Amino acid sequence: MKKLVYTAFVAFWASIFTLVSVQALSDHKKEPSDEESLGTYTLEEVAEHDSLDDCWMAIEGKVYDFSNYIPEHPTPPSVMKPWCGEEATEGMRTKGYGRDHSPAAWEMMEDYLVGRLKEE
Amino acid sequence: MKKNWPGRGLIWGFLVLLAIICLASMRGSDLGSPGALLNYLGRVTGILGLAMLLLAAALIARVPGFDRHFGGLTKLWKTHHFLGAGALLLLMAHPVLLALGAAETSLSAALSTLFPPLSNIGTWLGWGALLFMMVFLAPSFSFFGQPEYQRWKWIHRLAGPAVILSLAHILYFGRTLTAGLDMALWVVLALLAVGAVVWRLILSGRMGSLRFEVAEVASVANNLVELSLKPAGRRKLNYQAGQFVYLTPYDKSLDAGYGEEHPYTISSSPTEDRLRIAIKDLGDASRAIRTIQPGSRVHIEGPYGDFFPSDPDKGDQPAPPELWVAGGIGITPFLGRARHLAATGQSLDICLVYCVQDEARARFLKELESLAEQIPGMKLITHYFYREGPLDGEFLARHCPELDQRSVYICGPLPLTDLAKNLVINAGVRRKDIHTEEFELL
Repeated sequence: MKKLVYTAFVAFWASIFTLVSVQALSDHKKEPSDEESLGTYTLEEVAEHDSLDDCWMAIEGKVYDFSNYIPEHPTPPSVMKPWCGEEATEGMRTKGYGRDHSPAAWEMMEDYLVGRLKEE
Repeated sequence: MKKNWPGRGLIWGFLVLLAIICLASMRGSDLGSPGALLNYLGRVTGILGLAMLLLAAALIARVPGFDRHFGGLTKLWKTHHFLGAGALLLLMAHPVLLALGAAETSLSAALSTLFPPLSNIGTWLGWGALLFMMVFLAPSFSFFGQPEYQRWKWIHRLAGPAVILSLAHILYFGRTLTAGLDMALWVVLALLAVGAVVWRLILSGRMGSLRFEVAEVASVANNLVELSLKPAGRRKLNYQAGQFVYLTPYDKSLDAGYGEEHPYTISSSPTEDRLRIAIKDLGDASRAIRTIQPGSRVHIEGPYGDFFPSDPDKGDQPAPPELWVAGGIGITPFLGRARHLAATGQSLDICLVYCVQDEARARFLKELESLAEQIPGMKLITHYFYREGPLDGEFLARHCPELDQRSVYICGPLPLTDLAKNLVINAGVRRKDIHTEEFELL
């Protein structure tokens, strides 16, 4: 028992250290951002995509198309449905009960970016 | 005769049920990708790990009598120890699995899952809890060598902050189980854990411990004393032969161990007015206690242990014959039982095999010989290691007829306990008829 726990203890720190060092050693240069080439949309345009099959959201000044992500989201689709076609920063920041989404979720979101929100 | 210990079954049954509930709470999206599955497993290891941590905390209450549901305090500590180990293993896997799940998105997502901005308090609370756990469990699993008892005990108190931080962490993140169930689970487990800590640290001193006065200190050998204690409070200690207590001396002249509690076996018969406790010099505190002054105060908490049957002579059925195997100071519970059988005039078919290195180490031998004469059916056999080598099956068979018919009681150092257990199993004794009491509290 003692050996097992000690081995796991060493393995734990080894895997954390490996993750940190791989990240530190990997190339930090980000892909040139192609955000510039993306279009800009008004809230009215976003509002046209308000169903689960065609679900856009405006979050912190950017516009996302989550239509393909909805089946993968951890909560049932009904939770995301009211935010389709809306300014959804509040939903992203609070999950409806005061808890922010994880950093990983914020990063994952960038895969669904379609443009910027036009300032009005 | 078969002993029934529901305690362990209840705990492991509860954990299996919790695992099944977690499995039932799995959503379709949790199987959507390898990353999602790793994330789900990360959350489940967190839930099960925390449940184990809280159950381990709930077991520390050490309410006298409660340990019998686990087969005695040493077996209860074993369950506590396994729960602690399981909690640490699962809670170390928890962040690693979550990070690997996020690695599906990107390496930096994995890293920011582990080390998010400071504003993400929930994650940092979890880190705090895990680091406290590693510190307070390191001595328990001898990460850096065998710790000294009092230091280990002090470090182990860091379990308190670890539990509080982990509960705060789950308040932030619980989302795997349905909200009502989630709340009910953590409230119940937290209340059990907090109740146990409150009992242990605050109430047990007032309600659970009994005051005694040292009446006599008898020197049995140069490294062994037997204390005779007389009750100094109103309440008496109700115990059975062979049980043990935690003793805390309050004699300022002691070189070590003032106000520290240590477990010792009761060597008297419950019929005696005085409580007798045999103490072998095994550390600073037990060495110092040889000089404890008669008239000084001690506190006793207990009794604990579930070694001997509480009622061997059931009605008209004669008690089954017994084999007692004692190693060194492991003789004390048997001494208590033999004194009790003699004091109450009972007869019992007993083979007592007393294993010691040599004649000089055969403590209490004279008294045991006289007890064997008084108790009809009792036979005393000494086994000297220097002469006979390790105990073997042939020795047992030669001295103890009908070995396979006997209930076996073993108390001594771990290697002897294991050896004797194997020998009697090979001789045909059923496992359920073998009872052991270990001295080492892990």
